[in-house]
Amino acid sequence: MKALTAEGLSFGYGNELIFDGFSLAIESGEFLGIIGPNGSGKSTLLRLLNGTLRPLRGVVNVLGKEINRLSRKEIAQTIALVPQESFFAFEWTVQEVVLMGRNPYLKLLERPRQEDLNKVAETMKLTGVQMLATKSINSISAGEKQRVLLARALAQEPQILLLDEATSHLDLAHQVALLQILKILNEQGKTIVLVSHDLNEAALCSRLLLLAQGKTIACDIPAKVLTPDLIRAAYGLEPVVTKHPCTGKPQVLFPPI
Amino acid sequence: MSSKRRLSWAVIVLLLIFSGVLSILTGPGGFSYRILNQVLLFRLPRVLVGVVAGGVLAVVGGAFQGLLRNPLVDPWTLGVASGAALGAAFAIVTGTGSSVLLPVFAFSGAVLAIALVYVLARGRGGLTVIRLVLAGVIVSFFFSSLVMLVMVISHRSLGEAVYLMMGSLTVVFTRKSLGLFVISAILALAGCGWLMVHNRELDVISLSEETALSLGVDVQRLTRMVFLVGSVAVGLIIAWTGAISFVGLVVPHLVRMLFGPKHSQVLPGSFLLGAGVLLFADVLVRTLTPTGLPLSVVTALVGVPFFIYLLRTRV
Amino acid sequence: MRYSGCALWLIMLMVVNCGVHKERQIPEKRVKCVSLVPSVTEIIFAIGAEDMLVGTTNQCDFPPAAKEKTKVGDFQSPDIERIVSLKPDVVFATQPIHQRLIERLAEFKVQVYVSNPADVEGVFAEIESVGVILRRTKEAEKLVAALRRRLDSLPTFSYKPKVYVEISMAPLMSVGQGVFINDIISRAGGQNIFQHLNIPYPVVDPEAVVQENPDVILLLHPLANKDELKKRVGWSNINAVLSGRIYTGLDEDLFFRPGPRVVDGVILLARILHPERFR
Repeated sequence: MKALTAEGLSFGYGNELIFDGFSLAIESGEFLGIIGPNGSGKSTLLRLLNGTLRPLRGVVNVLGKEINRLSRKEIAQTIALVPQESFFAFEWTVQEVVLMGRNPYLKLLERPRQEDLNKVAETMKLTGVQMLATKSINSISAGEKQRVLLARALAQEPQILLLDEATSHLDLAHQVALLQILKILNEQGKTIVLVSHDLNEAALCSRLLLLAQGKTIACDIPAKVLTPDLIRAAYGLEPVVTKHPCTGKPQVLFPPI
Repeated sequence: MSSKRRLSWAVIVLLLIFSGVLSILTGPGGFSYRILNQVLLFRLPRVLVGVVAGGVLAVVGGAFQGLLRNPLVDPWTLGVASGAALGAAFAIVTGTGSSVLLPVFAFSGAVLAIALVYVLARGRGGLTVIRLVLAGVIVSFFFSSLVMLVMVISHRSLGEAVYLMMGSLTVVFTRKSLGLFVISAILALAGCGWLMVHNRELDVISLSEETALSLGVDVQRLTRMVFLVGSVAVGLIIAWTGAISFVGLVVPHLVRMLFGPKHSQVLPGSFLLGAGVLLFADVLVRTLTPTGLPLSVVTALVGVPFFIYLLRTRV
Repeated sequence: MRYSGCALWLIMLMVVNCGVHKERQIPEKRVKCVSLVPSVTEIIFAIGAEDMLVGTTNQCDFPPAAKEKTKVGDFQSPDIERIVSLKPDVVFATQPIHQRLIERLAEFKVQVYVSNPADVEGVFAEIESVGVILRRTKEAEKLVAALRRRLDSLPTFSYKPKVYVEISMAPLMSVGQGVFINDIISRAGGQNIFQHLNIPYPVVDPEAVVQENPDVILLLHPLANKDELKKRVGWSNINAVLSGRIYTGLDEDLFFRPGPRVVDGVILLARILHPERFR
């Protein structure tokens, strides 16, 4: 069964359509990367896939079921989104933020149970933020915040994890750490969809979707997508593509400036 | 619960009890068992009004701040006070008011304003928080200017203007209107109960619309219901007391400073603290200025120094 | 405050910036005037000088003929351009409502008479002053004499019932010190229970009303309802409620307008307070 499918999606803000008849199928257990220039619709696509945006036409299916037929809580138990950044108007503690990830499992009057607290502790440990539990979310660094948001998403116990440029505020060490966590999660069977602006990060995915102006330029293994021709078609300039000396994965280097 | 929290709860509850007792002891002729009957007839209802008004205004203020993701919001942001003012002005000017009809008219005006804001805010794509705020501002301005117009045309700009704009806990009741007030109070308290029951969803929606959606909250429905329930609860109260400012804005803030932003504590804490603060401010008004300084002036004078103190010691 | 004829002229000269300008000498018989004060409008009509009145406010409604006069706007905010365009020799205004207007009129070199009688005697003095300005001194004196006669015809009252005047229900508002109606009440043989409060329109505690236990209640606002008042919680044992001496539907202008009709107000109130003396 496919984890997520989009069939014939049309969507736009105002009069302009970003997507017109767009289709995509994501396999269960896949590690899909979505790349493309600014304005290609990457973030919008993520939100169409998790149901926070409704398409004008077309259907999104989650684990075989139409997303419109599912309740918000059911969707939230299956798909989690890690946003690029988050603004917190009030002084929540890190633990309180992660605990909100359990909302899909709690009924209206129910207080968090021991199993919820356990899950929260577990995901905080996994992303390495357990020491920050009582700190205010607005007092930690961007990198720590990103890992807290990941912990929250994981607390939803999703089968599908969507990440929207999750490493854009992270330094090298934190970026690598996050990617290592994602690799482990993927090996455990989670489907991961990673929107990235960093082509070399995207090279780690099992499949890459190259988007430009709401259209699929290519959707294949990284080695076949990260080619000078395709990148030129999408980005309008031609980089130098080599292979990583240790892993053999394609690496994209700047053209001579 | 940490000992600091326990202490904070204790202080809030004590303040409420203290203010309530003080309110009963304060009045023309002080307090003596001779006038116990008089005291019960006048001062007890006032305490009731004060507790309900302070509590409801603070709870709804806190809920709106969460909903609108902004600590600078108070119950008036979404237009309800101007509607009540227009309803009351209409009743006064046409002479159709009475102890029962005046609050009925005021509440009708409030409902009209709420409905107008709701209709204006519902655009393509549904109710968003930004549209709610804009619609609330528009409706407030519009209704306020209508109130001014009505006042000017009828040449009555005396006492009624004070009531409409600045609020009072001293309501002149008849048996009938007291009964009606009790019903209003029960409904308003039920509304507060509804808000408190949804405390966790308010927590989540206060993050962002998108995050709330992806965490399983039906954002459209919750926004609509919090707005309607909160505004109607406030309307039910200010139809009797007029617009008492500051309580709904500052009290939830104070409570957040003491307990953190979780609505499971902010809402009940705001109720108790709001009730206590309002009763205390009312006692100050009645002792320091026997000739009627508007209550809202004093709520500001009481709230601000306390707020500054907390700001400097805890932030 | 009492104005005598001469003092008045001096005050007028002081109010205007630099005295009377040559072209604006007040002509012999006809003095064009604009009245921004409804009570002064009544005085002008009462002394027969209405042909000199070229402008009034929307609130100048007595006598009915006053409604026919050219309007210069509302009592609260008259239109200064319209006033000046009528080229009046004198404008009757009051303080503090017209304070800014008075200053601006001075810039236009328009003479202003400020009306502010504090009690019934002050009204009489004002009638005389207006008479002097509009050259109707004889008529003014006759009017004052007639009014005084009517006042003097009232008996003296040894027993003064306590009076509660309510001018608003929400919030509960009465009249305190410095309000015109106090003099009317006292001349009518009564005492205002809140006379000791030192602001003109105090918001009062209903408990205080019950404690003062007034003998007579005057409801002077649009929501006035006698039956409702009797049903107010805690009010049922007030003297006025027990005896049913609650009065509504009175013409407020008789009590709040310091014009010739104040005497009507005093007499009306005296009849209410002391019915037994007027059989």
